[in-house]
Amino acid sequence: MSVNVPWAEKYRPRRLVEIVGNKKAISTLMTWLKSWEKGIPNKRAVLLYGPPGVGKTTLVHVIANELGYELIELNASDIRRAEELERVIARALNTSSLFGTKGRIIFFDEIDGMSGTEDQGGLAKIVDIIERTRIPVIMAANDPWDPKFRTLRNLSLVIRLNRLRVHEVMRILGRICMSEGIKADPAALKAIATMAEGDLRSAINDLQAVAQGRKFLTLEDVQGLGRRIREYDVFTVLKMLFSARTAEEAKAVLSRSAIDYDMLIQWIHENLPYQYKDPEELWKAYDALSRADVYFGRIRRTQNWSLLSYALDLATAGVAMARKHPYHFVKYQFPKRLLMLSRAKSARQLREAICKRIARQIHVSKRYANAEIIPLLKVIFEANPMMGAKIAKALDLNKDMIDLITGDERCTKAILKNMRQIEEEKEEGERKPFSPLFT
Amino acid sequence: MSEILWAEKYRPRTLDEMVNQEDVVRRLKEFVRERNVPHLLFAGPPGTGKTTAALALAHELYGEEWRNNVLELNASDERGIQTIRERVKEYARTVALGRVPFKMIILDEADNMTSDAQQALRRIMELYTATARFCLIANYPSKIIEPIQSRCAFFRFRPLSKEDLFSRLKYIAEREGVELTEEGLDAIWEVSAGDMRRAINTLQAAAALGKVTAESVYKAVGMAKPKEVSEMINLALKGDFVNAREKLRELMINYGLSGTDIIRQVHREIFSARSSIKLPDDVRVEVADLVGEIDYRMVEGSDDEIQLSAFLAKLVLIGKRLRESTRSAI
Repeated sequence: MSVNVPWAEKYRPRRLVEIVGNKKAISTLMTWLKSWEKGIPNKRAVLLYGPPGVGKTTLVHVIANELGYELIELNASDIRRAEELERVIARALNTSSLFGTKGRIIFFDEIDGMSGTEDQGGLAKIVDIIERTRIPVIMAANDPWDPKFRTLRNLSLVIRLNRLRVHEVMRILGRICMSEGIKADPAALKAIATMAEGDLRSAINDLQAVAQGRKFLTLEDVQGLGRRIREYDVFTVLKMLFSARTAEEAKAVLSRSAIDYDMLIQWIHENLPYQYKDPEELWKAYDALSRADVYFGRIRRTQNWSLLSYALDLATAGVAMARKHPYHFVKYQFPKRLLMLSRAKSARQLREAICKRIARQIHVSKRYANAEIIPLLKVIFEANPMMGAKIAKALDLNKDMIDLITGDERCTKAILKNMRQIEEEKEEGERKPFSPLFT
Repeated sequence: MSEILWAEKYRPRTLDEMVNQEDVVRRLKEFVRERNVPHLLFAGPPGTGKTTAALALAHELYGEEWRNNVLELNASDERGIQTIRERVKEYARTVALGRVPFKMIILDEADNMTSDAQQALRRIMELYTATARFCLIANYPSKIIEPIQSRCAFFRFRPLSKEDLFSRLKYIAEREGVELTEEGLDAIWEVSAGDMRRAINTLQAAAALGKVTAESVYKAVGMAKPKEVSEMINLALKGDFVNAREKLRELMINYGLSGTDIIRQVHREIFSARSSIKLPDDVRVEVADLVGEIDYRMVEGSDDEIQLSAFLAKLVLIGKRLRESTRSAI
């Protein structure tokens, strides 16, 4: 991996021996996981909790890797993936029932990122999964004491990961400086480690911010920056990115960002048109972002993470270097797409249900049903309520489904009226089994 | 009284009912007589009878028992290795019921299967030949890996002739009591491009409006298109990127369309004679190239909305250039 990858990523432990601190918690987790080999244990889930940056996610990944488990990971705070919860888990559970229980772990990361109202169903679903699961479930959270997690806590073996000690953090920072060829004053490392307050990830980010590209690191380097070198909020990060004068400056924002890069890319995407009013700039920036996304796609498919640095170069320096005019301040917006997605969730599920019915009945894919058949139904429903009503009956559509297809209340009413009429005629027909024609 | 869509209602139920694809039908009937079927690969453009032939073959092989002996999966919806390992493998390994010694697994749109899934399938096809036969259906057989192709009897489905398509449409119109003009037929031919399913769907949509004429056909097709596609393109060309992207999000989120669905519709819109998008022909060609590039990037990339936003950003630039060139011409 080249130098552009955030150090926190570059030096993320891959093996258990590389993990510092929390020995007792780790051995509790190991013992629990090994107990699955003898059958389903009393507690089917583990709730790992602790402050940010102590290595919850890393620990789960490393242990799974070392014990030969495959991780089915759901980042529960990620709205985009919330809908996949049901599908992914169902699949994982099915497989295990076919091929035995060994082999997989379900991992819900950042469960306190789930919103109480928006994802209420999500938490209930996790509880449901824990009650039924035949494979280990692990959850990670910063703060599990919220009342909404009570049921989850009761069902789980709760394991706490503590803040790392200053000397533990220092040891890691020292190792990183060594690999990066930086001669660091131990006092400087101690200052960073102390400031990080047990959050190893932020300590590494801080170190990268002050030490990258240097040969020596002194106490002055660190003290001069003080606490401000802690992570910046997204608005500041965007401002730093869009006002960057050099590619290097633009790339450096990543190590200071409080949000991870895939979320940062959503923020960049949202705000490009507000920042770049000149079509020339806008296209250049989008072209860079689009190419970055191509690399992300390749990484996802091939798991070749060494491509990450190219993707990040394009997403940061590529976007920043599109600027021709002087930087001007804009009020940055929250990614609207994420809001739209969470608002449209129930409509999406309804659409999915309609597509499933169509697909089964007329032998097409759900995708074809959505792109080709639903628009056709809309035309028929609008133009010919009687024909529409017959089809709606055949597909067993309910009022909400018809409403989603027509998008028009009056039209829906007409269809429902015709459906009732068909129903009445049918009953009439049943009462008088002989058609008048034959009498 | 309920009624499924005409395309399904008038789907041939037996091989004899299939009016076209004589060669294919003849060979398939031979399999039925022998009660022995190799693995099959049906390839050809959409709406040429591939799925129909597979279902009819299953009907004739198993008779009333067909539902117990056929697994039908659409690989567009379940394209991953998991489905192949779980559902297909489990189904393939169990013994068939009834007079035919094997079960049949129909994998529709198999060219959308991931290559991992195809690799897994290749093994399963060999392991369970005693109990299962596969019928793979694909638009583009080149997307099926060679080891699978070599394990299958290959059937190419030819595009439908105008005559075959018209006679079927006329038959349906007559049965449904719909008036259908010659111009109406020609219009359906134009929009369906030999795809029988699309043709029958178009017939039904136009019939919902009344008499089927060229006018009602084009009207029905126009009504079925989300208006947001042309609105989005026009907004971008006018330089209003933010609202163009808003339309894009409506298409993706409210209409549930995939990036590929949208880019295809954009492509159709740019070249359609009845489109509201006015562009000089050399620019149309430039945009077509861009559409192709973005389509490719979506296949390679991971976020369709970012890719399509990049497309819109380029349209903004093209629109600006066009306005500047007209201004300087005056």
